[in-house]
Amino acid sequence: MNPLSVVVRKGCDIFAWFMVVFGANVIIHGDLTPGGGFQGGAIVATFLTFLLVAYGGNRLLSWVNERFYTSLVGFGLLLFIGLAFMGFPTSFFYNFVSVTHEAAMAGGAHGIIPPSGTIALMDIAVGIEVAGGLSLIVIYMFKGIRLYETSPVGTECGHDR
Amino acid sequence: MMQLLHLCVLVLIVLAGFFAIWFRDLLSSALALGAFSLCMALEFYILQAPDVAIAEAAIGAALSTVIYIIALRACGQIRKGNGGGVK
Amino acid sequence: MKKTMFIAAALVLGGIVWGVLDNVHPFGDPLKTPVDDYYIAHALKDRSSENIVTSLVFDYRGFDTIGEAAVLFTALCSVTALFRQGGRRD
Repeated sequence: MNPLSVVVRKGCDIFAWFMVVFGANVIIHGDLTPGGGFQGGAIVATFLTFLLVAYGGNRLLSWVNERFYTSLVGFGLLLFIGLAFMGFPTSFFYNFVSVTHEAAMAGGAHGIIPPSGTIALMDIAVGIEVAGGLSLIVIYMFKGIRLYETSPVGTECGHDR
Repeated sequence: MMQLLHLCVLVLIVLAGFFAIWFRDLLSSALALGAFSLCMALEFYILQAPDVAIAEAAIGAALSTVIYIIALRACGQIRKGNGGGVK
Repeated sequence: MKKTMFIAAALVLGGIVWGVLDNVHPFGDPLKTPVDDYYIAHALKDRSSENIVTSLVFDYRGFDTIGEAAVLFTALCSVTALFRQGGRRD
């Protein structure tokens, strides 16, 4: 894809970062407002598609680092399953830091962790994983169509043909 | 009033789905699918499911449209004749 | 022969669809099960999460969320395998 005009590029510059902030807002308020990890992660993954549409693949693929997104996917999944395992003396997926609603209303919440406990933390973990995964899918699909131009003829390169 | 808005959204969903099939041009068809997803998100919001509405708007209207357009671009390179690796 | 089979299949399918659509709840009046009442009554009180949907997804139905994460990871793996660079890298 060729880069679009300067108006579209500047607009996407501003709006892409706005989408990151909005997605983070949806993720970290997942236990209070509608939304959650999956929805917020999908909104954050819109950042890369904005830049891909505005700037084209040639410039975008020199900016992104796939290992970063791969580490996001791995970190999110491990954090999610690790949080599930941490409630283990009772059971898998036991919510071990939550307080009841009366105690939270009376000021019994503990510090920086929200009173809903692992629900909010798992929201953040799943949000990180989904953001990395959907961004990585878009990156790999765009690199896949560039294989036609860059790979040598006759060697094995993607697409069954 | 709310019933009228609901009816308009339902008619828009049917229209967008019809045009997604009716267009001969595949790019127009993919954009019609994006409009379909947008109207679907509005419908979910009217039916009081904002979670599903956010997910539908982010994935259906933004990500899947971009993925369809990327796939169409790859198919266009195949059709031009110089794309395939093995001749 | 083909026309009679088509008519028979259309009758059977039409009967099934009509029988299903005849039993759908009216709009705005969903079926109320005891589980719904339990979740609505206890989700906010026990977990102090004001979004009951998130409380369901991440606490009461945690295994389903692990399945959802596995589905996304499988999709990522399949996309990576389909669009791989492949061959030996030198």
